[in-house]
Amino acid sequence: MEFSVIQVVLVMIWTGLCGIDLFDGLFHFHRPLVSGLVLGWILGDMRTGLITGATLELILLGAVPVGGAQPPNVVIGGVAGIVLAISSRLEPAAAIGVAIPFAVFMQALITLYFTAFVPVMHSVDSAIEKGKGESAVVNANLFGMFTLFVLYAFVAGIITIGGTAAGNALQQLPPFISNGLGVAGGMLTAVGLAILLKIMFAPRYAVYLALGFILVTFFQAPILAIAGIAVIIAMIEFYLTNEISNLAGKNSKKGEASDGI
Amino acid sequence: MASNRLLTSSDLNKMAFNSLFLQASFNYERMQACGWAWSILPGLQKVYKGNPEKMKDALRRHMEFFNVHPFLVTPIMGIVIAMEEKNEDPELIRAVKVATMGPLGGIGDAIFWFTLLPIAASLGAGFGLDGNPLGPIIFLVLFNVVHLWIRFGFMHYFYNFGLEAFESLKSITAHFQKAASIIGVTVVGALIASFVRLSVALKFNVGSGENLKEVNVQTDIIDAVMPNLLPLCFTLGIYYLIAKKNWTPTRVIFGIILFGVAMSFLGIL
Repeated sequence: MEFSVIQVVLVMIWTGLCGIDLFDGLFHFHRPLVSGLVLGWILGDMRTGLITGATLELILLGAVPVGGAQPPNVVIGGVAGIVLAISSRLEPAAAIGVAIPFAVFMQALITLYFTAFVPVMHSVDSAIEKGKGESAVVNANLFGMFTLFVLYAFVAGIITIGGTAAGNALQQLPPFISNGLGVAGGMLTAVGLAILLKIMFAPRYAVYLALGFILVTFFQAPILAIAGIAVIIAMIEFYLTNEISNLAGKNSKKGEASDGI
Repeated sequence: MASNRLLTSSDLNKMAFNSLFLQASFNYERMQACGWAWSILPGLQKVYKGNPEKMKDALRRHMEFFNVHPFLVTPIMGIVIAMEEKNEDPELIRAVKVATMGPLGGIGDAIFWFTLLPIAASLGAGFGLDGNPLGPIIFLVLFNVVHLWIRFGFMHYFYNFGLEAFESLKSITAHFQKAASIIGVTVVGALIASFVRLSVALKFNVGSGENLKEVNVQTDIIDAVMPNLLPLCFTLGIYYLIAKKNWTPTRVIFGIILFGVAMSFLGIL
């Protein structure tokens, strides 16, 4: 599928905005779930965009900067997956296998970018000494967001233009590869969840993992209902812990909640 | 409490708004320092109005290394600007900044990355997978109502109540992290069953002649034991690799892709 110049430009602008939102603003319209809808609309296939975005969203659920460490880049991974899914007419899950390397590449590029930005701090320092600190601080931040925008838009442009060619090539793949990528796409969701578990899980929380699993497997309960039940249990635990520590006397030290997160 | 305070409600809102861009000038030397300076600037301009030397000194101090959870910066801003207003010792202000960064990082991760984002995103993705455009909208509304309420609310709360409020926040942190773990782990359990897809494609025949019967390994055997058994085992396996064997997520992802293609080639998955 060929994209028009206007479509490519719109994808670049949207990706630039998403690149800013990943670090600043943080409204999270950069998540693949939202990006999928918007990119799908731009590229003329909203449904494929939305489904691919939602699939990617689940895979990248654990791709969050825990403790400040940069995960694979969720913006570029999302854009690459969604553009490829639309241009190649591959199954959404299959396009994702192709998108992940882009996310890893962008992660490395951003690391370079954050290093390259160091000299700007020194120019702000000297502006402060000259009494022009207030405007220098504002300008440094505006400049930072502007360069982020340009960087992301540029990468998105390459992906969108190259994605057309890549999409055509992908259509020629033997079926076991596209099928296999689709199978992998279904399994990749486990990665995000495993990352979340790594940080939250402690053996005594296994019962809660089982609770959520059973409510869906055997009762098809919606996620929101399960989250509601979990909140109730967490509050009961909270009250109980408070009462127990009150009973145990006011000098009881709270060291028991140190595992888990 | 509110008497003879310098900053108005709209000053506080301006600061909270700027704090959205805390990482606009992020870099590996000072991290969020310059974004922090921008966020706190409206407050400093009010406090040091007509006193350029003190302003210069304040900017110098607030350009020092700073890094906190991007969602939980306003509690520190509230406390720090209240201290600037009272003309506290700069050393003390610096100490407060340094001391609050760490604990807030942990609470922020718990609230935003392990509770709010997984719940809101998986809820929205559930709609999105069916092609329903309400999915992204539900996600954005849910996420940002909590996000903005916390960001702007904490700005006002901590400016007004200061350090004592932070002490009480710290004392409930341990309890809060436990509660967040319970909610998070339960939701992850639900997500495994809802969204991890893994099924065996193998079929074989048993019996002969008129009794010949095709047995589908997935639906006739595994699902009879327990539906979603494979996704559960698979996720726990990945958890083992990431948490216990220190595999990086990238390595796991490439491994899964190769595994998927290989199993598809062999006709197993």
